Amino acid sequence: MFDVVVIGGGSTGTAVARDCAMRGLKTLLIERDDIASATVGTCAGMISSGLKYMDEPEIVDLCSQEVVYFNKIARHIIMKNPILTPIFGMSDLSSGGNFAEEYSKRAAKRQVPPVLFLTPEDSLKIEPMLNPDLIASLYFEEYFINPFRLCILQAQDASVHGAEIRTYCEVVDIRLSNNEVKSVVFYDRVSGKKEEVSTRIIVNATGPWAERIAGLAGTNVELRLNKGAHVILDRRVVNVGVIAKAVDGRMIYLFPHESTVLLGTTAIDTWEDPDTLVTSHDEIEYLLKSMEWVVPSIRKARIIRTMEGVRPLIAEWKIPEGEVTRGYKIIDHSDEGVSGLLSFTGGKLVMCRRMAEDVTDVICKKLDIQATCETHIRPLPGNDSDIDVVSLAKEYKVSQHVVERMRTRRGTKTRDVLELVRDHPEWRTTICVCEPVIEAEIRYSIRNEYPRTINDLRRRLRVGTGPCQGTNCTYKIAAILSEELNLGIAETLIEMTRFLSERWKGKRPPFRGDLLAQEELVQAIYSCVGNLDREAIHEPNPWEEGL
Amino acid sequence: MSEEEAYEFVMNTLRKEAIVPLDHEEIDIVRSIEKCMNCGSCINLCPVVAAVGMDTFSGPRSIAIELSRSTPEFWTSANMIFLCTGCGTCRENCPHDVDIPMIVNLLRWVIYKQRPELIPKQLLEVQNRLEKHSLAFEPWEDIEDKNESRDVRIEQLGIPFVKDRKGVKAEVLFYPGCQAEERAQEVREAAKYILVRLEVDYCLLSEMSCCGLPARLSGAKELARDLEKKLISKIKETGAKKIVTTCAGCTSSLSEIIENSGVNVKVYHIIEYLMEEVDEAKLKLLFERGRGTSESTITIHDPCHLIRHTSRMIMYYASIILRMIPGVSIKPSSAFDSCCGGGGMVGYHSPHVASRVTEVNVKAIERTGAERVVTPCPLCTTQLENELFRSNVVVDVDDFTVFIAQQIARGER
Repeated sequence: MFDVVVIGGGSTGTAVARDCAMRGLKTLLIERDDIASATVGTCAGMISSGLKYMDEPEIVDLCSQEVVYFNKIARHIIMKNPILTPIFGMSDLSSGGNFAEEYSKRAAKRQVPPVLFLTPEDSLKIEPMLNPDLIASLYFEEYFINPFRLCILQAQDASVHGAEIRTYCEVVDIRLSNNEVKSVVFYDRVSGKKEEVSTRIIVNATGPWAERIAGLAGTNVELRLNKGAHVILDRRVVNVGVIAKAVDGRMIYLFPHESTVLLGTTAIDTWEDPDTLVTSHDEIEYLLKSMEWVVPSIRKARIIRTMEGVRPLIAEWKIPEGEVTRGYKIIDHSDEGVSGLLSFTGGKLVMCRRMAEDVTDVICKKLDIQATCETHIRPLPGNDSDIDVVSLAKEYKVSQHVVERMRTRRGTKTRDVLELVRDHPEWRTTICVCEPVIEAEIRYSIRNEYPRTINDLRRRLRVGTGPCQGTNCTYKIAAILSEELNLGIAETLIEMTRFLSERWKGKRPPFRGDLLAQEELVQAIYSCVGNLDREAIHEPNPWEEGL
Repeated sequence: MSEEEAYEFVMNTLRKEAIVPLDHEEIDIVRSIEKCMNCGSCINLCPVVAAVGMDTFSGPRSIAIELSRSTPEFWTSANMIFLCTGCGTCRENCPHDVDIPMIVNLLRWVIYKQRPELIPKQLLEVQNRLEKHSLAFEPWEDIEDKNESRDVRIEQLGIPFVKDRKGVKAEVLFYPGCQAEERAQEVREAAKYILVRLEVDYCLLSEMSCCGLPARLSGAKELARDLEKKLISKIKETGAKKIVTTCAGCTSSLSEIIENSGVNVKVYHIIEYLMEEVDEAKLKLLFERGRGTSESTITIHDPCHLIRHTSRMIMYYASIILRMIPGVSIKPSSAFDSCCGGGGMVGYHSPHVASRVTEVNVKAIERTGAERVVTPCPLCTTQLENELFRSNVVVDVDDFTVFIAQQIARGER
């Protein structure tokens, strides 16, 4: 019997599992796919000060406070991005001024400067790619977190505190007894078996799928689903982040992110199935056209893929899609006559810890447990101290760049990975050459971070996310995965094609110009090196055949 | 906060976040790699990768698709990027002309800004010398000693001494480069002698000053720019319309900086000058006078800075000129255009890596059975000479200019 079953392994779900476990509740997290496999994995990673929502001051306050906490508990996976907002006319200046005032009120708390004004000359020295017609620019700073690592670390920390984490388990039923939740039935996609666990509380943290899960208990959740898409460029083509007004007057951005640049994002009402969503041509053009005014050369930059997700916004209707609140709500379904089921609507990445704190407070009250939240004080794994990349690289004879990339994912745990090369010097081999990732880290991740597929490794390690999008590393990773997980030849081959088709999903929408020629080469490599054109080897997953 | 303070504040944050703002031109360099399709042709041909393996030097492809993607991480390449000899083989063979040597210089410059302590100290020493003397080598303390060393060298080689022509206006400026100025003085003397024998109206700079290449290669972009500016104004003072140099590195570097400066001066390696500006009959006559005085079997080594950074035509010219000399027979080496290993400043801080790169040349040279190697670059000459000696291969190495001057001198006697 669990105290809490959390459904959904995104930023909110993993945060809830962590908080519950830390407060001593017997907790189970069930995720249909992999940790961070849906909504959170498609965001820019900005733990935003709420800059887009300056007319909701209480949200801005909350966001600012959360940034302070994240910098305490997860600083190894956080980086600061300086951002310029170029101003081209008087209208930009007045709206910018209001924003500057709201932003600056909370700046000191987050340890960032108030909004600064820069001359056109200085702006161009900092970011020469800007349109030289600017009359000034606003400068401010925001923090960015690696959303995949955040979720993995939250899940791992939950495990450390006794929670059970089950990925690849899809909830298929919620059973009630006397209008109270009694148990959760889920289908284990790996074993192909159904299981039933009894629980006192269920937290529905499934984002855009919240309506579906609530429906299993005969209850309702209403969401206003909002699609957001990003275009990803292959390298850093700007020195700093750039924010600009889009064709429709909304704000869009160009943010350096890891080794890439993200151009985003759209925000449009959607009634599509969140499982099969792809970025549309219109969205790509909307972003390129809008950014072109500010960074004229942007259209010439190499796009490596697009990514898209769905924001599960609170259902406010009859207002423009861009003006829906970015706050969150916890819905207690006892109002509908079903007790023990709590659902989230709304929310943003930066609020995930706070959302978890709130819901866990509710749970503790329901279960009559006295325990205070410590998720904002106790650090996530790897956050303990700084590490010296240069000396670690020397000590383990691994390239400095590899170690530095590892550091941004693992902080002090970097050494645990490097220790593996003592017994296996050959695991120093670089497997993904774009990012880069060595064999030791892949093995370590498979053994300690419960991935089942190459795509799961991609989320944990960024393998296959570089300019070649897995063209050169898929085969090597598949070989390692099959060895570690004992996969057969057919399974390994299927796993490879699954990963490549997942990459294809993001590569296909932006194809144009040179990208087409480059893809021709990639396809040739697949068929000549991997013989992947030989036979149709795709077999449906067990769950695709129907339950 | 005033505008100046705001700018200072931002620059300070950028420094803390290891963001070195690249300028337009530099971003274009980084963006030129967008064309890389990760084919790996460059790795197969990179002489450093072949010599020391990808664990020590991860190679041009890694520079393109991995190390140059994110500026704040450029410093992590410090243990790799200084091992590039800058030979340009990768660029020459890249199906999309990705300019890796330019990217290498850019990475080095950014590291200089981010983590100067990671730069090999020998390079910082070169930079210090350049700052102090505008020369890549420490100048001689005593001019008498310098002259004595020069006299010993040219006497051994049988090249007559001709006086320097300084402080005069002339159509041709002879620019020996730092190495021939301070170390390989015989090259400088040989060139002067050839120019005089050909009755060329030439002059020297009143004070030699580096072209900036060693600064650029070691990451000191600003220093390189200062040196370029200084040299350009000195060149303007001479009123010369043509610059002749005997150094391969100077040829490519001068061509670039002169073109960028917009000064109307043409840069020649002495090979090009002899071929394009001198009456062939006149040169042949000088060579013919020495007929019968010497027989020589030679092989030719092609300097990267000529064939890949300037033009392959130059070495074609070199072979034509060498064939004019009576008694000379040329044996082709299988490693004729393979990097000598000393370029890109690698010889300064990692001589063991440079030596490993030279090995392939040494073996190929030995196999030709030639008595001597002729190469139009003082750096290649030194690198090959040292490595042949270390490997007990008895083959002499001559700078091209010296070899030509000797032949002319023999005819004069």
